[in-house]
Amino acid sequence: MIIENTSRRNFLKATGIAAGGLVIGVAIPTQTMAHGKKIEQAAFNPNAFIHIQENGDTLIYCGRCEMGQGISTALPAAVADEMEADWARVTVKQADGDEKYGPQATGGSASIRRMFIPMREAGAAAKFMLVAAAAKVWKIPAEQCTAKNHYVINNNNKQQLSYGDLASLAANITVPEKPLLKEKSEYNYIGKALPRHNQGDIVEGKLTYGVDTKIPGLKYAAITHCPVLGGKLKSVDKSAALAVKGVFSVVEIPRFDVPYGSIGGVAVVADNTWTAQKALKTLKIEWDLGVNKSYDTQAFKAQLVKNVEAPAQVATERGDIKAAFAKAKLKHSATYTGGHLSHSPMEPNASVVYVEKDQCEVWAATQSPADIQKVLGQYLKREPKDIIVHVTMAGGAFGRKFKCDYVHEAAVISEKTGFPIQLTWSREEDMRTGYYHSINAQHIEASLDDNGNVSGWLHRIAFPPIGTLFNPATDRPSKGDVGAADDYPFGLANYRSEIGEAKAHTRIGWYRAVYAIFYGFSFSSMADELAYKAGKDPLTFLNQLYDANEVVEQQEQVKRSKNILAIAAERSGYHQRASLPKGQGIGLAVHYSFASYVAMAIKVEVNGDDIKVLNVDCVIDCGQILNVDGATAQMEGAVVMGMSLALSTEVTFRNGAVVNSNFHDYPVMRINDMPQVDVHIVDSDTKPTGLGEPGVAPFAPALANAVFAASGKRYRDIPFKPLTV
Amino acid sequence: MTTSMTINGKKHDVDVEGDMPLLWFLRDNLEFTGTKYGCGAGLCGACTVHVDGVATRSCITPVASLAGKKITTIEGLSENGDHPLQKAWLNNNVPQCGYCQAGQIMNAASLLTTNPSPSSDEIDNAMQGNICRCGTYQRIKKAISDAADELATEVS
Repeated sequence: MIIENTSRRNFLKATGIAAGGLVIGVAIPTQTMAHGKKIEQAAFNPNAFIHIQENGDTLIYCGRCEMGQGISTALPAAVADEMEADWARVTVKQADGDEKYGPQATGGSASIRRMFIPMREAGAAAKFMLVAAAAKVWKIPAEQCTAKNHYVINNNNKQQLSYGDLASLAANITVPEKPLLKEKSEYNYIGKALPRHNQGDIVEGKLTYGVDTKIPGLKYAAITHCPVLGGKLKSVDKSAALAVKGVFSVVEIPRFDVPYGSIGGVAVVADNTWTAQKALKTLKIEWDLGVNKSYDTQAFKAQLVKNVEAPAQVATERGDIKAAFAKAKLKHSATYTGGHLSHSPMEPNASVVYVEKDQCEVWAATQSPADIQKVLGQYLKREPKDIIVHVTMAGGAFGRKFKCDYVHEAAVISEKTGFPIQLTWSREEDMRTGYYHSINAQHIEASLDDNGNVSGWLHRIAFPPIGTLFNPATDRPSKGDVGAADDYPFGLANYRSEIGEAKAHTRIGWYRAVYAIFYGFSFSSMADELAYKAGKDPLTFLNQLYDANEVVEQQEQVKRSKNILAIAAERSGYHQRASLPKGQGIGLAVHYSFASYVAMAIKVEVNGDDIKVLNVDCVIDCGQILNVDGATAQMEGAVVMGMSLALSTEVTFRNGAVVNSNFHDYPVMRINDMPQVDVHIVDSDTKPTGLGEPGVAPFAPALANAVFAASGKRYRDIPFKPLTV
Repeated sequence: MTTSMTINGKKHDVDVEGDMPLLWFLRDNLEFTGTKYGCGAGLCGACTVHVDGVATRSCITPVASLAGKKITTIEGLSENGDHPLQKAWLNNNVPQCGYCQAGQIMNAASLLTTNPSPSSDEIDNAMQGNICRCGTYQRIKKAISDAADELATEVS
């Protein structure tokens, strides 16, 4: 039985399963539907399922990918809340890759923005149907029934029917067109501090990640890649590797020129990972390194600086910057730079793939199962839907596991050997042949008028953009890539942005917070620099910059940015900073990205070159909060990642290849550097927005501003204290 | 090479090359996947297990060096997942992705055996070999302190 609600905006489907029970899926409008075409022509795209079993046990499938950000707790809890389920009776399952779950590509902090209302509606519809079923049993109007904690109660006589009892009956009820959603005051789980659903398994070592899949007949592979993008294999001597006991074969993997395809490499297949890794080291490989063999990040960064310190291609112009500069009381300019970053999740790239004649099955830690289906489909010349993708928990991802080159490679090896293959990249391969956060340079020239207010702002930007993955001819950021600068919510009436040349010589990819890392750094650093030039308190100066914004559409951004800045200042003791001991200082920064607002106040102690971060007060305004504990955890994590990239992590290329190799020369932050982090959440009723990324952006500028306040030293290059490798 | 070691209380024959690190023997041969691969070089602590009660990086410990030893992995730390550290980890909602947490807990368990009431600095010193890329350090520190407090109550 299939019931379809044909309302265009709100589209729910219920399927009564033969074995009994109630299953509900929910779909958000597809493009086809949005364009008003007939429903029956649209692909039906449910993106979550509720399955109530006859014993009352309830499964909630999470279509979005989980990598530690907590989405598989936050969204299912919202479903459970609306359906008045008992969370203790709910099991969350990670959905396989399937378009019936809607868009599963998990990035851009978009899951909550996209799914909060549809998921709640799925829950509310389930509740409506369970209540209607109970009302039918009792032969009373539904209004005389109340759903609570996995039961429906007869208000007249307090009789109860459990959700398990009602499941089969509820499956025959028509899906409500527009189920009534709860008021904020009625929430049981939304907005509370619910522990993540899988943490019990985590502390017992039972949770299965991409690297942990075991299936019968599994063989293990290790891989090495051409160290330079665009190079290819010249020759390989496999004899020593093949002589190692336990080795089955050595497989050449040619470069596959589609987005997220392998860059090319050689893999060893053995009866365990260790043997494969050991034998891999005995291969004698010659690479033809290709056009990028002279890539050198030190020289490239210097070139980017040149490209932004000279006139470049104009992107956006408003007001009259020339006149503003001519009338300026004072002008100030600065150049900000940053290096490549490696995501380095603790779980390296890993998956299991079994390619058979009539089937291809994948188990992978991934942020985008549909891209696995697409790339493997292209490679194997099969329909994407014929690639079965089981999504596992990801041991961190941060953008890296959006790209499925490692899964494609496992598929090549499986296809060529006939074995089910688990390919695990070594840490060294993960660091040396990844998709990197863009190396970047920005040059800002600003003028102050007689009142010490900003009167003109010239912003030049150069970085190899992510678009180079899809169009290698791209030689600089697009206008869209600099949109976050053009739309920065400061009041910059006389403004010009220019785009400098920046070709890519390695793969550039999304890294947690993406371009917000360097836009946050440049805007919040420059504002601080200008405040000192104007002889004003940095907070006052920031508020004046926001107050100068007269764009009607940006007034909400102005208001919310100022609000969280004020809270950060107050909670951190910013107003009492004059009484800090010598060598200590507090810096502020705020950044709006991915539709959320985050401000940070950082207190540091500076002693010569030594920077010790003492306290971080982090204030977030992400609208209505789904999970207080999850939100807090995301900010604590953002501080750690922000601190790593602000102070120490940088990927260095020399002679075309990455020099770093492991955690000794890519020094991510460790526990002994952990500051006290206090997270403050603005109580809000506005639409909820995501938090996976927005916390990273304000850290580096707040730290730079704090160090300046403490010591008078201004850091403009990220990381401030790179390790020389 | 054929020898044996005791893993989580059960004797296992070791019929692999002697230079195979314990990590891969556990993961690929015995399919105890709770112990994780993170760096393969003793730099991140994700693979931490106990060898005769002492925290050890299994990714750089060849099985040949472990004949007759007693190994404990995260799967064998407690009968029912109720080691004071496991409880404290849950009370503090420590994990995010969770990948490093088995190594963190095993390392912390070894610390509490030798130092039942570590100071903040002592926790830092003992735990700085264990990387968490999600950034759960603040909660890890709190959880270790809480577990130490619980152990102190049990003893007194």
